Amino acid sequence: MTTFRTPRARRALALILAGLASAAGSAHAQDGTLVMGVRGGPESLDPHYSALGSHAEAAKHIYDTLVWSGDDLQIEPGLATSWEVVDDTTWEFKLREGVKFHDGSDFDAEDVKFSIERIPLVSGPTTTTIYVRRVADVEVIDPLTVRIKTDGPAATLPYDFVRLFIVSSEAAADYSTPETANEGFNGGPAAVGTGPYKLVSWEPKGDLVLERYDEYWRGKGPWAEVIRKEMPNDSSRLAALKAGQVDVINYVSSIDYLALQRDASVEAVVGDSVYVMNLQLDQRDEPPGVRAIDGGALESNPLQDPSVREAIDLAIDRETMVQVVLEGLGKPANQMMPPGFFGSNASIAMPEHDPAKARELLAEAGYPDGFEIDLYCTSDRLPGDGAICQGLGQMLSQVGIRTNVNAISKTVYFPAQGRLEYSVFMNGWGTLTGEASYTLGSLAHSNDPELKLGAYNRVDYANDDVDRLLQEGATELDDDKRRALYEEAMAKTMADKVYISLVQLQTVWAAKANTVTFAPRFDEDTLAFFIQPKN
Amino acid sequence: MSAPVSPLARFWAEFRRSPVAVAALLVVVVTSLLAIFAPWVAPQDPYDLTTLSLLDARREPGFVGSGGYAHLLGTDPQGRDLLSAILYGMRISLQIGLAAGTVALFLGTTIGILAAYARGWVETVLMRIVDLQLSFPAILLALVLVALLGQGKAQLITALVAAQYAYFARTAYGAATAERRKDYVEAALATPLSGRRVAFFHLLPNCLPPLIVVATVQIANSISLEATLSFLGLGLPVTEPSLGMLISNGFPYMMSGRYWISVYPGIALIVLIVAINLVGDRVRDQFNPRLRR
Amino acid sequence: MSGYVLQRLLQAALVMVAMSAIVFVGVYAIGNPVDIVIPPEATQEIRAATIARLGLDLPLWQQYLIFVRNLFDGDLGRSFIYNEPVLSLIAGRLPATLELVLLSVLSATVFGIALGVYAGYRPDSVLAKAIMAVSVLGFSVPTFWIGLILILTFAVNLGWLPAGGRGQTVDLLGVAWSFPTLDGLRHLVLPAVNLALFKFAMMIRLARAGTREVMLGDTIKFARAAGIRESTILRRHLLKLISIPIITVFGLELGSTLAFAVVTETIFSWPGVGKLIIDSIAVLDRPVMVAYLLLTTLLFVVINLTVDLLFALIDPRIRARGAA
Repeated sequence: MTTFRTPRARRALALILAGLASAAGSAHAQDGTLVMGVRGGPESLDPHYSALGSHAEAAKHIYDTLVWSGDDLQIEPGLATSWEVVDDTTWEFKLREGVKFHDGSDFDAEDVKFSIERIPLVSGPTTTTIYVRRVADVEVIDPLTVRIKTDGPAATLPYDFVRLFIVSSEAAADYSTPETANEGFNGGPAAVGTGPYKLVSWEPKGDLVLERYDEYWRGKGPWAEVIRKEMPNDSSRLAALKAGQVDVINYVSSIDYLALQRDASVEAVVGDSVYVMNLQLDQRDEPPGVRAIDGGALESNPLQDPSVREAIDLAIDRETMVQVVLEGLGKPANQMMPPGFFGSNASIAMPEHDPAKARELLAEAGYPDGFEIDLYCTSDRLPGDGAICQGLGQMLSQVGIRTNVNAISKTVYFPAQGRLEYSVFMNGWGTLTGEASYTLGSLAHSNDPELKLGAYNRVDYANDDVDRLLQEGATELDDDKRRALYEEAMAKTMADKVYISLVQLQTVWAAKANTVTFAPRFDEDTLAFFIQPKN
Repeated sequence: MSAPVSPLARFWAEFRRSPVAVAALLVVVVTSLLAIFAPWVAPQDPYDLTTLSLLDARREPGFVGSGGYAHLLGTDPQGRDLLSAILYGMRISLQIGLAAGTVALFLGTTIGILAAYARGWVETVLMRIVDLQLSFPAILLALVLVALLGQGKAQLITALVAAQYAYFARTAYGAATAERRKDYVEAALATPLSGRRVAFFHLLPNCLPPLIVVATVQIANSISLEATLSFLGLGLPVTEPSLGMLISNGFPYMMSGRYWISVYPGIALIVLIVAINLVGDRVRDQFNPRLRR
Repeated sequence: MSGYVLQRLLQAALVMVAMSAIVFVGVYAIGNPVDIVIPPEATQEIRAATIARLGLDLPLWQQYLIFVRNLFDGDLGRSFIYNEPVLSLIAGRLPATLELVLLSVLSATVFGIALGVYAGYRPDSVLAKAIMAVSVLGFSVPTFWIGLILILTFAVNLGWLPAGGRGQTVDLLGVAWSFPTLDGLRHLVLPAVNLALFKFAMMIRLARAGTREVMLGDTIKFARAAGIRESTILRRHLLKLISIPIITVFGLELGSTLAFAVVTETIFSWPGVGKLIIDSIAVLDRPVMVAYLLLTTLLFVVINLTVDLLFALIDPRIRARGAA
């Protein structure tokens, strides 16, 4: 038999040997190229298409935002150098001079106006209109000054603009309808920004290849070339880092973090995340996912009873959730924002864990045998989301609330949640603008489309006091008074326990030891411009 | 002179001659028994959330947990005893495999025999559909059906049946057509006996041998396909993990040294599938007349 | 002969029409497709406008007809998620899948037939038994499990080969291929092996079964009796006799490998069409699902047709029947 000596077999053998040889030496950091392995990439190269974190993070490489949010989410000048209130409903922004787009054209107020007006036209399912929701009109005063008229006093307008990406009014002029937008941006001609890197090429769900823009207004970045590889599988991403295929990765799972601590060739960077996981309880009279323990219908909605909600809160063991489910990468949370943010209330106590008392409360409320719920959450959006959900299912079941856990894909979860199909659900909420009106205004206020408040309030929660406090806060221009209003609103909201905050997440990045250095960001963004080589 | 030996006894005598096949059959029988009696044999009901404790999560084999007994194969990230999870998982795998296989068997055989009996355009249409489906890969069909129908045992079984009935149909058709041309069938059809009786009593029994072979292979395939779907996240819900989902949940832990969460379910799955295939192989070899020289 | 060809072509066309209708109805009729595209807090006006723009308010059969008309224009719709034309989305990722599948199928066939023939030729040898054991494993073990083990062994523990992704590409004929580069080949090895194993095992079994049958048959007996040399027997008789079933299976298995690539591409993060369809199914991106299924059906129909026509050429019985 002669088949084993065919040219094919010989070639295969040679390949394997060659592969072994080249695997030995591949170091990217030294030759000016940064290769990043990221868990999620952009949905398109149109920065206005999606509000998802992974989309915005990629956009920040090519485009700039009007206002910049620093590592700890405090706002700093971006493309706007200063801003002030002109009158109750007008803000004036002064723009940075001498900034040019990648194609050489100048950045001016026209581009700001164009970008703001473009958003409602091209925004996709996860809409970016929330960042310009207070804008009634945009007026160009001169090439470096723009006046924004708001619908009523908008104290937090600059905070909203940390995600307002500026595109070129000339390059994107023909690409601002839903049909033309993605083609223009993904194909190239409109994908022109003022950011630190220029677009070279992009494969959807694949590699985003960028090259340095030397005339960037912050200065020349440290890398001549940046390649962002999209690798959704946690294990593959880590394996790629260890094998030297990528230099930096984000979202190291808690599972791998423990192993990394024993590996001297890789170093991990841990940062607190802005994301807090919240359990949300339906307040409607006829909730679809709640039923009696035998499967039949209930007379009334148990979740409307405050002592039932208190029982649910008592059933949850936050410490175990952090230590066991998240393997230590998290912190127990007692409110929807991380501590220290504008509007966070330091005097709210951490809820206790008391399953016996929970059972008592349930019995007193008329549910000695408990009841049954369908719990929904995402399985692929934030680290540990599916695992936390399963842990919740356990904890609730053990006080008598039989739980059917459904951990599903985020693209199915969010539209269904928006259609109010769920009664008991949990997802993470990130206070990306660094202050309370973003969070409380979207979740805690009753759903009022005219006031544009409560847009993400999917449980029909309505507390008149909270509504009043939030409306006052939205029009209060004095910082201290506003802070007090929001702190009170937060206290009242958390006391109602319709939103039960569970844990604050922590994010882990990893890189080859002694190759790069960077500071972890609260909003979990991994930005090439701020990653410095160590030598 | 000795009494005549029944075909089954003859079959078994020859089957016994291959030690590998007998061992495989033993494995299949033992696994099935364990799966059937899982609720009594397993130390824990892994689907009952009230019996789990997160404090037992991810413990190595031999750890004595909050239930007071030793977890022989360790625990998974939710605190489930892995041995129990594997037993219940095998239960699900076998349930789905057998259910899908049986329904596909009935459906496919009916179609195949009907086509062979009816002839004419009925035969052409039916067999064209079957042929098309044979060349359409099962996994793709199953994927799309599960995505559309949603998660759940019934939906999964439907998808598996839709993906597999064609094999039975093809086989039954081939065997039935060969039989149909034989003289005794022609003779039977000439009598006042109804066509259905002919089909049932004459065509069907002669189709059984190849159908049995296909059945064993298809049961193994169903189990494998279900595991793949669960691995891809399109199978059963998270709180009723089948072997595929256990493997998938456990894989991220392989690199941090907690191998047992993925490896043991993986071994269980492979042992089951390989055993069924070995038995099927042997049965097929025995039924193949062209190998009998 | 031409009558036979026409008949088969007509049947193929009918199948395509039937499949397109089934696929379209199946995918669009279940649930409400508009919900994936529309932000939940959109006003009723936006909702109505989007439904009208996508044509989702028309009765299903009208939507289907529009869909078919667009097909002839080469427009398979736009992805809901990426908002890009589906055809360009699929075409962009096709080369990656093609090179993976072709490499797998070729190596599986060559090695599989070689080993299978040997196992059938000398069925009682130790090597033959070992080959059969390997083939049972390759046949039974689910592809995803082998993929995981391959990654664990070669990428994580030994570090010889990359754990996923596609390597460097070069442009050939305007398309990006990765096999001409060394880096590309390094990335191809593990996924190709993973994908090939099942086919490899199947080819071994087929070749072995076919070989055993033929070896026990009359042709070989007579050839031996005539004193023809063993190697000539192998070459002239055995290979020819087992080639027909193998060609049949090869054609069909090419298509099936394309489907199994779905699993391999997911595990190895290979940016091919398979991964696209899995992602699309997970998020119910209907236009992509429909287009993919139709293209796959087209591929299978074409393969079937080709195999049938090839047989018509080879097998005189079919030619005679067709002409009559």
